[in-house]
Amino acid sequence: MQDKIRNFSIIAHIDHGKSTLADRLMQFTGALSEREMREQFLDKMDLEREKGITIKLQPVRLDYKARDGETYILNLIDTPGHVDFSYEVSRSLAACEGALLVVDASQGIEAQTLANVYMAMDLNLEIIGVVNKIDLPGAEPEMVKQEMENVLGIDQEEILPISAKLGIGIEEVLETIVAKIPAPHGDEKAPLQALIFDSYFDAYKGAISYIRLDCGELRKGDMIRMMSSGKEYEVIEIGVISPYMTQVEVLRAGEVGYMAAAIKNVADTKVGDTITSAVRPAAKPLAGYKEVKPVVFCGLYPLENNEFDKLRDALEKLKLNDASLIYEPESSDALGFGFRCGFLGLLHMEIIRERLEREYDLTLLATAPSVIYRILLTDGSEIFVQNPSRWPDPQRIEKVMEPYVKASIMVPNEYVGTVMELCQEKRGSYINIEYITPQRVLISYNLPLAEILFDFFDGLKSRTKGYASLDYELKGYEESDLVKMDILLNGEVVDALSTIAHKDKAYYRGRTLVEKLRKIIPRQMYEVAIQASIGNRIIARESVKAMRKDVLAKCYGGDITRKKKLLEKQKEGKKRMKQIGRVEVPRDAFMSVMDIESDK
Amino acid sequence: MLSCRLWILKVINNSATGIYIHVPFCLQKCSYCDFYSLPLQNGDSLEKYTKNLLREMEQQAANWENRQFSTVYMGGGTPSLLSPEQINIILTDLEHHLHILPQAEISLEANPATLNSDRLQELKSAGINRISLGVQSFRDEELKILGRIHGAQAAMEAVDDIIRAGFENFNLDLIYGIPGQTHDDWIYNLKMAVSCGPRHISTYLLQLDPCVALAQQIKAGKYKALSEDQEADMYYDALDCLINEGFHHYEISNFARPGYECKHNLIYWQAGEYLGLGPGAVSFRDGQRWMNKEIKSCPEITSQTDTVAVETLEIMNDRDRFVDAVVLGLRLTEGISRQQFMDRFGIDFYQEYHSIIEKFSREGILLADQDRICLSHRGYFLSNQLLAELL
Repeated sequence: MQDKIRNFSIIAHIDHGKSTLADRLMQFTGALSEREMREQFLDKMDLEREKGITIKLQPVRLDYKARDGETYILNLIDTPGHVDFSYEVSRSLAACEGALLVVDASQGIEAQTLANVYMAMDLNLEIIGVVNKIDLPGAEPEMVKQEMENVLGIDQEEILPISAKLGIGIEEVLETIVAKIPAPHGDEKAPLQALIFDSYFDAYKGAISYIRLDCGELRKGDMIRMMSSGKEYEVIEIGVISPYMTQVEVLRAGEVGYMAAAIKNVADTKVGDTITSAVRPAAKPLAGYKEVKPVVFCGLYPLENNEFDKLRDALEKLKLNDASLIYEPESSDALGFGFRCGFLGLLHMEIIRERLEREYDLTLLATAPSVIYRILLTDGSEIFVQNPSRWPDPQRIEKVMEPYVKASIMVPNEYVGTVMELCQEKRGSYINIEYITPQRVLISYNLPLAEILFDFFDGLKSRTKGYASLDYELKGYEESDLVKMDILLNGEVVDALSTIAHKDKAYYRGRTLVEKLRKIIPRQMYEVAIQASIGNRIIARESVKAMRKDVLAKCYGGDITRKKKLLEKQKEGKKRMKQIGRVEVPRDAFMSVMDIESDK
Repeated sequence: MLSCRLWILKVINNSATGIYIHVPFCLQKCSYCDFYSLPLQNGDSLEKYTKNLLREMEQQAANWENRQFSTVYMGGGTPSLLSPEQINIILTDLEHHLHILPQAEISLEANPATLNSDRLQELKSAGINRISLGVQSFRDEELKILGRIHGAQAAMEAVDDIIRAGFENFNLDLIYGIPGQTHDDWIYNLKMAVSCGPRHISTYLLQLDPCVALAQQIKAGKYKALSEDQEADMYYDALDCLINEGFHHYEISNFARPGYECKHNLIYWQAGEYLGLGPGAVSFRDGQRWMNKEIKSCPEITSQTDTVAVETLEIMNDRDRFVDAVVLGLRLTEGISRQQFMDRFGIDFYQEYHSIIEKFSREGILLADQDRICLSHRGYFLSNQLLAELL
């Protein structure tokens, strides 16, 4: 039975056509009728379809009658295409024996794709090269094939040229999957070992896990055990997704499906964990499990103070579906009560924030993102700080360390100079440069993670006309000369605007920030002094002059009603401002802290 | 400080009622104007308009028979486009249908281009006792930007004619903040206005609705709007200059020789009641504000036969009326009286607005004593900050 199964992923850069190809495969194998076809079927969230990116993967089982007359079960395990979710990608790949590497015929390989392909190779997956969008006017499939061979050692001759949009080459893709990807060969008689590669929360069935069975079998009613926690559950439902959930009696080694076991929280069905039998447990879990830890933090505050409870409820609900989101209540003098939230990266942060606002009808203020700093104190103890307002008194600090990443930037060679300049400005240290083809270069740098959070992407994009792609992985902590910079409005520190900056850059940051605030803070009834300080030293100062005009020059019988409406509108506008001390600050002011233009 | 502003307006009767007559016709729309107006096509429209107005007065007579009117104000548009005979008929009929008090203030808004000595004599005989002259500026280049149909010379001549016709009580309207206008230009305009000897001067900041022609010309880069600071400087220049010349600054934008404050406009600011006649005119009575339907073109006037259709603008409960009176009353430099408001609305604004009054007093926008609150010198030009919070 296992010899008819093929488990595979699609690795592709954003926009290189992964979701479209998945749609085509489903259509070709009849998993979806014409009527059911809609763009990007597997991207379930509206947000994903809107942004055109896959955040949460959704597996699907395709029954394919091959040219040899046999019917094969093809399990497609989609992967999220963003650096924030690289752990999830690794677990999805671990559930497969092969992967389709899809590259845009006019774009070539991107840094992100490369990282994921290396990951697949490390896991001994069979890689099938696919060049997509060959129908586009700018397509250069031969050059892209050459690049794939040079960089990844994939034989050019075996790379499949397709157009997912037009449905060209789809059958060849399916045939190649059947022919080249090895069938799974797990021991059906051995104790159960099933890999959780994703999970989500269902209001009726509880946490639902997407699983791949390596050994043994799983039936409804079985008692199972999560190997990371030892927690045990009774299986209430198993099934396959084709592409709708279909219950089955048994899942066997090599198969992919879903499982529900009345588990109340997705945090108990962690991605990468191994499910085994409670009755006849496996000796050890599958390799590669790790706890995912957030690396980026920010404070989220409701614009309206009375929406704190609503925000808490919303976070609780999102957490049910997203074990990697963490949060704890915090309070700020400036912003009142809110939550300190941890995320896997900037995109993750943006998605969560947008979902909170959109799905839970909240208006939020977000403080600038921060990384986790490791601080050695003079008394010999060590603390971790991810909220600038908790930064210890400089007198007590022995040394400060910050997280570093190894960044890989892929770029056409004419941009090497400008990219290196950017990395240098961002306190990077050079590792090496690799020529992938004579035209394309892979640049590696050690960079502080915090620098990547501050407009690095934007800088990269604008300097390379959008041709650069970036991937990074965390490398650990390194010592840095960091200081806390405060912003004061009329002499009062606005805790929510405090940031950590490198000493050499603090002056510039302070200047830029203060200037930016001057532009953003509207004139008020009194002059507003905006200052940046490090400790007691003021490093920058601006002021917003007192407002002098806010008047209805004319108001007579005929237009009283209209004039009152103008005043009412003004009153409404005030509600969108945050009162900090005596100063009214628009909510953008807080986000403005993060997008300071890079040093020129 | 508060008490010195008070002495003048005590004569004003709180229960005074006014009549506003809207004459929507203009020869040409000014580039800054967002008021309801119609381009006048021919004299026939004025004739029809007058007829309709007479019928409307007749219809309203019963509704307002228990009221005594202390003011009549003909505004527009350009009411001085009506012939003195037509105005005479209107005023005569008005007195016939409604109870107009003997000492009533009867104002006519006039464009300098539409006046001459003879007309003014006749207007005086018809019963007009106050002229409000739309001078706007004594500088031709400014008048041109404003799209006015007259020059500075015409304005001077009109003033002479007004005085010669024996109008003791006349007002000049001035606009400041015109693109290109300098401090000196504005002082010149103020001095010129004072030298004409008016009893009343209104100075209005040029505030443009985005849809008007001048706003679009500014947006297109043809003119450059003045800065907030320049505008504020000009406002306070006017205050300094006119107060120095002996004018009483009694409302944010209005100045008068003591005793010559515009009684009609005071009715608005004291939240008094008024009857509006003519297309687009607004009436206010028993907490309701309504507007006569606007006529969109001259030919439409002829088709009007029946009762004037009205659109309700506001229906206010007791509290709304109180708020309305607060917001309007604070435009007056004398401010509002706690005792008067208690008597009139049964609401103590000190209690109602305790924290707002405290905040704005602290910021130096508002002055308060035992009985009164009023805007400070600095507060006049920042009044929206306060008024928006009082709503």
